[in-house]
Amino acid sequence: MATRRTLLACAIALSAQLALAGGAHADQLADIRKKGEIVFGVLGTDEPNSFIDPKTRELVGYEVDLAKAVAKKIGVKPVFRQMSVAARIPELQQGHVDVLAATLTHNKERESQVDFALTHFVTGSKVMVRAAGGVTALPQLAGKKVVTVRGGTQETNIRAAVPTATIVTFENTQQAFQALQQGKGIAYVNDESSLLADYGKLGPGAKNFTILPNSIGVESIALGLRKGEKSLKAVVDATLRELETSGAANALFNKWYGPGTRPNMTKRTFSIHTDKI
Amino acid sequence: MTFFDASLLRSGEYHDWLVQGFTTSLQLLAASFVIALPLGVAIALMRTSHGRALRGLGATLVEGIRNVPLLAHLLFWYFAFPELLPEPVKLALYDSNPEFICAVIALSLYAGVHMAEDIRSGIRAVPGAQMEAARSLGLGRLASLRLVLLPQAIRIAVPPLLSQTVNLWKDTSVATVIGAAEMMYQAARVETATFRSVEAFTFATLAYLTVSLAISLAAQLYARRFPVRT
Repeated sequence: MATRRTLLACAIALSAQLALAGGAHADQLADIRKKGEIVFGVLGTDEPNSFIDPKTRELVGYEVDLAKAVAKKIGVKPVFRQMSVAARIPELQQGHVDVLAATLTHNKERESQVDFALTHFVTGSKVMVRAAGGVTALPQLAGKKVVTVRGGTQETNIRAAVPTATIVTFENTQQAFQALQQGKGIAYVNDESSLLADYGKLGPGAKNFTILPNSIGVESIALGLRKGEKSLKAVVDATLRELETSGAANALFNKWYGPGTRPNMTKRTFSIHTDKI
Repeated sequence: MTFFDASLLRSGEYHDWLVQGFTTSLQLLAASFVIALPLGVAIALMRTSHGRALRGLGATLVEGIRNVPLLAHLLFWYFAFPELLPEPVKLALYDSNPEFICAVIALSLYAGVHMAEDIRSGIRAVPGAQMEAARSLGLGRLASLRLVLLPQAIRIAVPPLLSQTVNLWKDTSVATVIGAAEMMYQAARVETATFRSVEAFTFATLAYLTVSLAISLAAQLYARRFPVRT
């Protein structure tokens, strides 16, 4: 899910950099304290990170909860502004929002545009195989036929992970998944959360399929900050670190991603501890 | 980032992908054509025969295939048809290259029925007296068809048949939906890998245009060299 957004945002970020004036700011954290509010840029359409609860009509989500924790730590009111994927980085750079909590993938290209807080979610593509195929690890896919969707980073990721695999791509994930079920390929690659949802749809047929444990093309999701705002970054990172040590971060993961939720992930395979990728 | 980076098309990995796509498209065209043309002749003969059942079967084939979009054909022949095959045949198909084979089946049936209609028009354009003359010379019905009727009918039908071949060439692009690694598939792949959509699709457009124009030119040359006898 993060992949297409990443591409778009990269393109926008490039043009935004050209438009950005290099004016020096006063300390942003001091400004936030003075205003009494901190503005977060969110997508608002991206369950479970930030979305409108259909019952309460309120903005909720994993990243919304993280943002609220940051606001509480600073002692100001959180304000959420919904924005499109492509507009995220320009809105931050132009000062319309203070922090991005918008499923922002942390990658090297973007480090010249924005600063990133500690990674608060790690995702990536995963591989589902037919159990009868006897594949238990990525290298065994060498020379085998792997199906996936066209246009995302999944194809690039699997090609990098297993260069000799024969990759066949389809217009959408449903077709690729069907090709796997019919036995036209031995493995199927998709974003982890979508893959788990597909697996869930198999019902009793799930015993014929296995998901390989290793992720390919790991992506780190983090809050985005304007470049050089050291004191704001320090307080955001401190909040995240506290959430991790107190166990609250794990509780939030379980609340939005864990067992029984729609993504239904059984286990958190990362912890919030670094802003390096 | 330059607007148009032609070096991408001249050499390197992306060049290889695109050339491979072009080659696969030409192979799809060739394989479908050699099946579609005889199929077209057979169906045209069915539709012009004296047997009522044969005529009915021919008409059913033509209408049944012609009235369904090519995209639906491709998805049917790739996702549905192999599942109906006996297990060993199905596995053999999946072990080979099902994307290419199913694309050829769909394309040749689709082009075949359109060609059948062109050939049928050709047959109808040959004066009935030709057949009567052949029979009165002592030729059997099949020999009359083969030696007298069809040579004249095909000559009349060549220009529309070549135009049908141009259609078949362009239609190979639809095979991308079932993962056949043809021209459009590879162009999209280059776009995904490099974001160079302008270059990739320019290459594809020029490739389609070149082959289409070459087929059209062949049609014109043929019509000049072998005008329809009246």
